[in-house]
Amino acid sequence: MQRIVVDAMGGDHAPEEIVKGAAEASLALADAEIILVGDAAALGALLPSLRHDGARVRVHHASQTIEMDEKPAEAIAAKPDASIVVAAELVAAGEGDALVSAGNTGASVLACARRWRLLPGVRRAALASVYPTELRRGDKNDPFSLILDVGATIDASADDLVTFAIMGSAYAGLVSRNRRPRVALLSNGTEAGKGPQAVVAAHQLLLEATELNFIGNVEGLDIPRGVADVIVCNGFVGNVVLKMLEGVSETVVRLARYAHKEKLTWRLGLMALSSALSQLKAVTDWQQYGGAPLLGFEHLFIKAHGRSSAPAVTNAIKVAAKAHAGDLCGHIARGVADVAARRRPPGGPGEAPT
Amino acid sequence: MTAPRHVFRWDLDKTYLRTEFDSLGDLVKSAIENAADKQAYPGATSLLRALRAGEGHRVCIISGSPSQMRTVLAAKLRLDGVEFDEFVLKNNLKNILRGRFRALRAQVPYKLPALLESRGGSPPAPAETLFGDDAEADAIIYCLYADVVAGRVPLADLERVLAAARAYPDEITRTLRAAERAPKGDVVRRVIIHLDRRSPPAGFRRFGPRLVPVYNYFQAALVLYADRLLDARQVLFIAFEMLDSRQYQLAILANSLQDLMRRNRFVQDEALRLADEVRAIALATPATLARPDLPPFDEIARAFTDRVRELKGARPLPWPTSPPPLDYVALVDEEHLHRRDRRRRGHA
Repeated sequence: MQRIVVDAMGGDHAPEEIVKGAAEASLALADAEIILVGDAAALGALLPSLRHDGARVRVHHASQTIEMDEKPAEAIAAKPDASIVVAAELVAAGEGDALVSAGNTGASVLACARRWRLLPGVRRAALASVYPTELRRGDKNDPFSLILDVGATIDASADDLVTFAIMGSAYAGLVSRNRRPRVALLSNGTEAGKGPQAVVAAHQLLLEATELNFIGNVEGLDIPRGVADVIVCNGFVGNVVLKMLEGVSETVVRLARYAHKEKLTWRLGLMALSSALSQLKAVTDWQQYGGAPLLGFEHLFIKAHGRSSAPAVTNAIKVAAKAHAGDLCGHIARGVADVAARRRPPGGPGEAPT
Repeated sequence: MTAPRHVFRWDLDKTYLRTEFDSLGDLVKSAIENAADKQAYPGATSLLRALRAGEGHRVCIISGSPSQMRTVLAAKLRLDGVEFDEFVLKNNLKNILRGRFRALRAQVPYKLPALLESRGGSPPAPAETLFGDDAEADAIIYCLYADVVAGRVPLADLERVLAAARAYPDEITRTLRAAERAPKGDVVRRVIIHLDRRSPPAGFRRFGPRLVPVYNYFQAALVLYADRLLDARQVLFIAFEMLDSRQYQLAILANSLQDLMRRNRFVQDEALRLADEVRAIALATPATLARPDLPPFDEIARAFTDRVRELKGARPLPWPTSPPPLDYVALVDEEHLHRRDRRRRGHA
């Protein structure tokens, strides 16, 4: 049975949409227990109005909530009984298998980092995000590529980047059902020698020490094209890239709105394209994807978008259940151990005598 | 014939038996299945057996299944070791031969007189508990039955309800006669509705505190434990049958307890009393009698107290203690529309 702990108070539409999403997940997942953490009286008042399986939903009371705009470290220090803190503790204590939250990203990552252990061989965790691309991938014909890290680790060494590649590949393999995800390093040129020292060194390590489907370096313009299924970078670069891509999307929408108002011919053109645009919106709807995984810990955390409505929460819970059922953390741990074994010098410590 | 102390009235399909009749194919399959193929809901068999075992307890089964299925259904109950005192089925062949196709689906005009006649046909019990489900109109029928035998529904009002339920004139006459003859008293202590369709429990608030919607038979057992109709050992037997089915784990049973508490249908004191009694059973039971494939008693007790503790005394959802009288005509009309909608959406 998968035990998915859900921070019921985190998110712009919490707790209503979170509880709705969890209720739906309790019906959709045949072998899962959903543990809602938050104000028990409020959650208890919401659940009976919803179709759900009451035997598969458990409520764990937490008296405090960290708001979306609070400073993570200060909020966690001031609110020890905050829903996200209690939720992370429950998972750490073995009461749950994975955590889902749509709340304050910084506070969520910090709560996990303070209570969860990193997997053996993993020095730093990575937050991954999905981005819609032109090319699709995997058995699910998934239109999203995975970018990591997008902010958990500001600076990453070559070893860290290799670990991120292993983690991203394992996640894409499991969640997108992509047997051989194409993994790439984000750099300022496709040549192996281009980029900062950590990227150059990571390039070599990925070629020599892993069996990943490493396709080399990609540039920023390759991200929306979908050249790679997993794009690896440090948290500083990843965060800048992600924000820029979001900014471009928003600008395109604003330009379209402007065009719609400005000229009749432009409006007619947009109307002619409306069904195609709707289709594009449906295909690239982030709510379908669930959320961004935090990878590298002994447990999985799925960070759902702050604006998540019930379907997005349901999908985030499903992704968490799927990743746990597929032993994502085990895959990552084995992948990291494999690389460590390959890099060990012959006859070195741990090498069996021949 | 001595009067029973407590009568338990059970529906069969979707209450005791896991029956699918959402499509024509399901109906055909259900009709041709043999007794061994029919599946009871986990816990329902132990619960029925425990209730029947009580002194002065009487079990009456009133089902909308066609009377032609009596042999197979009786065989299923025998296979399960369930004893009953009365077994009423619907004579649908007679309805077909008389061209009364409306009666094939009608619930109120069939079940209400059957319940009233059952009460009138044997020495009256001072207490009754009724079991139904959310697939049909059981909540409405059982509450109407409770109000009729309590003398809260004048015959003229009952006639209007039956007309709204599309009853044939002779069914109205029969029901009114049965209502007149049924011994009166506020005897229906509890109505338990199995949420087979996972209908939102809040939709049943209007029926008042007597009706408890349950997701499974462990929850039903908890309610009857609080009603002092089952003891802790019997509740454990029901839990074990559910765990044995491999469809339930201890965590799910503990969640079921917590769900009832959040809905204010099982109070904290009862939950803690149950946990204490389970601990006492653990102490009195030799370790050699424990089944290795089932959780030990003390682990069960701990799971229950943990779920109580997790709520940290949060105020449960208030459940209306004295809701306004039910407008049965409106309820029947609403149910009729609901059923028509379902048919349009492709369900039988």
